[in-house]
Amino acid sequence: MPVDTKRVRGPEESQSPLLFLPSIAKKSVAAERGRQDGRRRGQADVRPVFARCGLVSQAKGSAYIEAGNTKLICSVFGPREAERKDEAGASSGRLLCDLRFAPFSCPNRGAWIPSSEDKDTAQGLLEALRPGVRLHRYPRAQIEVNVLVLENDGSALAHAITCASMALADAGIEMYDVVLGCSLRLDGNSFLLDPTLQEETAGEPGAQGSVTVALLPSLNQVSGLQADGDMREDTLAEAVRACMEGCHKLYPVIQRALLRAVHKRASPSES
Amino acid sequence: MAGLELLSDQGYRLDGRKPSELRKVQARMGVFTQADGSAYIEQGNTKALAVVYGPHEVRGSRSKALHDRAVINCQYSMATFSTAERKRRPHGDRKSSEMSLHLKQTFEAAVLTSLYPRSQIDIFVKILQSDGGNYSACVNAATLAVIDAGIPMRDYVCACSAGFVENTAVVDLCHAEESGGGTVMSLALLPRGGQVALVQMDARLHQDHLDALMEAAMTACRSLGQVLDGVVRQHLQEVSVLTAE
Amino acid sequence: MAAVQVCEAEKVYIMHGVRDDLRVDGRGCEDYRHMEIETDVVSNTDGSARVKLGYTDVLVGIKAEIGKPKPAAPDEGYLEFFVDCSANATPEFEGRGGEELGSELSCTLYKVFNNVNSLELRALCIAPREHCWVLYVDVLLLQCDGNLFDAISIAIKAALFNTRIPKVTITEGEEGGAELELSDDPYDCVRLNVENVPCIVTLCKIGHRHVVDATLQEKACSVAGLLVSVTHKGTITCVRKVGGGSLEPESIFEMTETGKRVGKALHAPLMKLLRDEEAQGKQRQKVGFLG
Repeated sequence: MPVDTKRVRGPEESQSPLLFLPSIAKKSVAAERGRQDGRRRGQADVRPVFARCGLVSQAKGSAYIEAGNTKLICSVFGPREAERKDEAGASSGRLLCDLRFAPFSCPNRGAWIPSSEDKDTAQGLLEALRPGVRLHRYPRAQIEVNVLVLENDGSALAHAITCASMALADAGIEMYDVVLGCSLRLDGNSFLLDPTLQEETAGEPGAQGSVTVALLPSLNQVSGLQADGDMREDTLAEAVRACMEGCHKLYPVIQRALLRAVHKRASPSES
Repeated sequence: MAGLELLSDQGYRLDGRKPSELRKVQARMGVFTQADGSAYIEQGNTKALAVVYGPHEVRGSRSKALHDRAVINCQYSMATFSTAERKRRPHGDRKSSEMSLHLKQTFEAAVLTSLYPRSQIDIFVKILQSDGGNYSACVNAATLAVIDAGIPMRDYVCACSAGFVENTAVVDLCHAEESGGGTVMSLALLPRGGQVALVQMDARLHQDHLDALMEAAMTACRSLGQVLDGVVRQHLQEVSVLTAE
Repeated sequence: MAAVQVCEAEKVYIMHGVRDDLRVDGRGCEDYRHMEIETDVVSNTDGSARVKLGYTDVLVGIKAEIGKPKPAAPDEGYLEFFVDCSANATPEFEGRGGEELGSELSCTLYKVFNNVNSLELRALCIAPREHCWVLYVDVLLLQCDGNLFDAISIAIKAALFNTRIPKVTITEGEEGGAELELSDDPYDCVRLNVENVPCIVTLCKIGHRHVVDATLQEKACSVAGLLVSVTHKGTITCVRKVGGGSLEPESIFEMTETGKRVGKALHAPLMKLLRDEEAQGKQRQKVGFLG
C-alpha cells in the first residue's frame, strides 16, 4: 500500500481503550439472578428474531437475520463450475463457506482479513450446513456461502447457521431440511440461552462454557455441535437439549420468512 | 576467524574429532509402512527423514511428464523446531527451494530414470534436527529410501560436506564449524565409479587447495558409502529372516 | 487427508463387524490400537514427544520463547499451535496441499489446550504486561492412518510433561529498566503441571454403534463423528461434531458418555508411563526412529 506522507500516521501498535476499562461491569452479570434484557435464566428464552430473504439482488439467494442486536447478512452464489478439479470431489458438489466479521461489528475494531479464529468459525458453519444440503445433486459444482456479521452481539455462529440455510433455500439449492442454530452460555449452574456479547464475555473464565447446536428440525438430527469449557457430561446433555428447544422456537419464524419469499417470487406484481 | 578455534594446536576439532573423521552415522530403512520407501539417518546431531513415493503416474498437470524418463520431484523441508531458533515455516522459503532443486539434480544423476518413462518419483526429505551438513544428511537418507522403494540406481549417492581450516581439509562439518563463514563444500558422489553427482561451494578458496579439498570430501563420501552399504545389507538380512519364517 | 477407497462389500463387512463388537483388526468398539510413546526425542526443543498409534505417527516439539503477553490477558503466557502436514505423510500434502488441514487442526488444538482449565497459564508469565513465555507447540505429521486428533493430543500432553522452561530472574538494569536473566543450569528449570491437560477422544458413528480410534478405512464407513476432549477427572472441555453427516440427539449423548469413559481411563496409564520413563533418567536407551 502506498504510504501517504502528508498524513500523520498513528503508532504502529495501538490498543483499544476498552481494555483499560475497570472490570466492574464483568461482575455485575454473574451476580444478577435474571438477565439484563429481562429474559429469564435457565429458560428457552431466545431473543426475538427478524428474518428476511432475498435482499441482495446480484446473489442467487440471500438472507438477513436480526436477533436482538446481532445482525447478519448472507448471500449464496452458485451452483457453478468447481474451481478445484480433484477427482475425489467429482461425484458430489463442494460447499464453500466464508464468514467474516465486519471491522465495525465488535467493540474492538477487527481486520478485514479473517483471523484464524474466524476461519475456525467458518469451518464450524460449513460442518453444520453440509449435512443439510443435497450435495450429491450437484456433481462437479461448487456452492459458495458468504456470511457477513454486521453487528456481533453474541451467538454469531448460531445465527450465521440459520441465516446461511435460509439463503441456501432462497437460492433454490436442494436441501433435506433447513438448518437452525442456537447457542447457549453456561454460567455457573444456570444457563443463558442465546447469549448477548456481554453475557458471552462476562464472568470468571474457569466456570464458563458455551455450546452451539445446529439442528435439522423436521428430521430431528443434530448437524453441528461445538462445546467449549469445563462441564460435566449431564450438563452437556442438558445444554444440548435446551439448545434444541431454542432451535424449535426459531423454526416457525424461519418457515414464515421462507414462505413469504416464495410468495413474493411467485407473484412479483402483487407485492 | 575470531573467537572460535576450529582446529586446536594438537590438530583436533571442536568436538574432539580429527580433521578427516566423520560423525557417528546411524541409519534405518523402512521406518514407515505407508510410503513406498522410507529411511531415517542420524549423522551426529543432524537427523533426517526421507520418504519416497513412486514411481507412479504424473500428478498435477500432464504436461510435466517426460516421454523418455521419469520426473523426479523433491521437496526439502525442515521441522519448525529443528533449529535452535524456531523457524516460522517448514518449507517454501528460498533456502528450502534451493535445497529441493539440488536434491532433484543429484537424484536425476543417480536414479535410472529412463526405466520409467511418463512417470514420477517423489522424494520428500525432512530435517528433524539440524546440526550442520543438512544437504548431505538428506542425500544419504534419500538414497536409502530410494533403495527401500526398490528403484534402481546407478550406485549409492553419498554426500558429505568439507571445509578448509588452516591449510587442512576438514570433513563433515557441524553447525558451529559451518557458521564460521569459512569455505564449505558439499559433494555428492557415486563412489563406485567416482562420478560426482553434485558439487557446490560457498566462499572463496585458493585454486591450489581445491584438489585437496575435493579429495578429502571424496574419501569421506566413500567411507559413508561403506556405512550405507552396511545398513542396506543389514536391513535385507533382517527382512529376509522375517520372510523366511 | 489421505483418501482410502472402500468398496460397498468392504463397507458392509466393516459395519457388520462393528455391530458385533468385532472390528477388522480384532479390536472391540472401545479399544485403542497399540500405542508407542517416547519423550525427549529432539534435543533442539524444550520438550518433545513422538506417538505412534497403529500406523499413525506424530512428532510434537515444544519451544519456549519469551514474548509479550496478549493485551487481553496481561498476566498470562500463551500457547501457539502449528501443525505441519508434511509431504512425508502423503504426497497430497506437498507444497501448500497440507496447509488447509494444518490450520484446521491447529485451530481446534488451540481451543482445546489454550485455556486456564487445562494449563496454568499464569505460571508462564514473567512480568505482567511486559514478558511472558510463549510455548510454540509444533506438531509434525509423519504418517496418517486415522484418528489424528487423539494421537496429537496424547503427544502434546507427553511433550508438555517433558517440557522444561529455564528459570528467569528479573534484575534492575542500569538505566532503570528490568533485565531478564536466564538460568544457565539445565536442571534449574520450571516444569508444567499437566494434570489437567485433556486428551481428545474421537468417536466415529458406524451403523448404529460408535467406535473409538477409527482407522482410515473405518472412517470412510462413518457418516459423522464426535470429538470429545476429556480431563483426568472426567469433565468434558470441548466437543466438536466432525465429518460430513449429522447425528441423532440420542446418539450424541451416548457418544459423549463413551468418550468420557474412554478418555478418563486414558489418563492414568499415560501419566504412569511418562513418570516411569522419566524415572529411568539417563539410563534410558533412546530409541527414536532407529528402533
